[in-house]
Amino acid sequence: MKKAQPWIGLLARLILGGVLLVAGYLKVFTPDKSMMAVRAYEILPIWLANVMGIVLPWLEVGAGLLLIIGVGIRYAAIFGTGLMVLFIIAIGQAWARGLSIDCGCFGGGGTIDPSQTKYLEEILRDTGLALLGLYLLRYPLTKFALEKNKSHEQTPSQGE
Amino acid sequence: MSSKAPKGSDNVTRNLVIGMVALVVAVGAIFSVISNKENTSAALPSSVSQDDGYGIVFNGDLTGVPVVDIWEDFQCPVCARFEQTNGDYIEKLIEEKKAKVVFHTLSFLGPESSLAANAAACASDENKFLGFHRAFYQNLPAENSGAITTDYLVALGQGVGITSDKFKSCVANLDYKGWVNNVAASGGKANVNSTPTVFVNGKEIRRATSGTDLGDYFDPTAFAKAVEGK
Repeated sequence: MKKAQPWIGLLARLILGGVLLVAGYLKVFTPDKSMMAVRAYEILPIWLANVMGIVLPWLEVGAGLLLIIGVGIRYAAIFGTGLMVLFIIAIGQAWARGLSIDCGCFGGGGTIDPSQTKYLEEILRDTGLALLGLYLLRYPLTKFALEKNKSHEQTPSQGE
Repeated sequence: MSSKAPKGSDNVTRNLVIGMVALVVAVGAIFSVISNKENTSAALPSSVSQDDGYGIVFNGDLTGVPVVDIWEDFQCPVCARFEQTNGDYIEKLIEEKKAKVVFHTLSFLGPESSLAANAAACASDENKFLGFHRAFYQNLPAENSGAITTDYLVALGQGVGITSDKFKSCVANLDYKGWVNNVAASGGKANVNSTPTVFVNGKEIRRATSGTDLGDYFDPTAFAKAVEGK
């Protein structure tokens, strides 16, 4: 198990990082749509939702790049996990309030036909991604990370 | 676990990579924010009012009539369905001066939506917005398939009787590109989260709540009722 850990970590990095990078990339060039997606959750004031709609995709791209390259893994993992938790809360509240929206996770978004909502799938997917982030937080030493300097990546139980 | 030796250079690489990623994120985000801001010096097509969210206004001088704001994207198939359902009625409202109607042409579905919105503004300068609008939806090409080009839009304009060179150059040079962005920005402020979205006197008409329900949008009788308030 100890030997497999860095490989599992690599997989976690590539999956979480890849999803963040792709999800961000699909949205950075369609800011109108992305702002609409955030507004449709009806949580934030409109102006703040519009700012988030523009800034969030770029942050996703940044965190995705760091995870894939393997630098600042723990910070990127904290960010990724936090983001997934926020998404789960946002999607859950939309579901509970009976809104009919697309999560806008990979572009798209906004109000859709009630028969087309996929809240459960979206929440399960984001839960899985959040768990990958938590794994990286606990075991940040992974294969093929650019950053080899362990002092930045110490875990509380480093001596094991 | 003996990585003590290259520690210094590794730190440099680490910080360099983090710095570069942070720079890309910051520059990208700032650039996006700025390019999405309303540009008050953009050229406006005729019959556009900044107070009406940069929409193309019909019967703007009427008072005491319902105000119908239609937010749409030229590439949205549901907007084409809405136009099919209520287009005749809306044109009648305009001709018979029974309502003030404002068309807001959004462009969130992609660059080809912007081209179409720009061309519609050019058509508005020729007093042919409604004809162009109708012809466009009747021939709606597949979304972002590359079908909406300058030639396509000019030909569409010719089909509804726009033959001037001014229209051609307006379409080809994207004369109202800034205005198209302004419409998009005002859609954000108006909290328009899907297309079509229709407001009557500032209040959204009833959206369908289930697959079989048509709402006010796709039932012509319900739509007329929502507009006329009867």
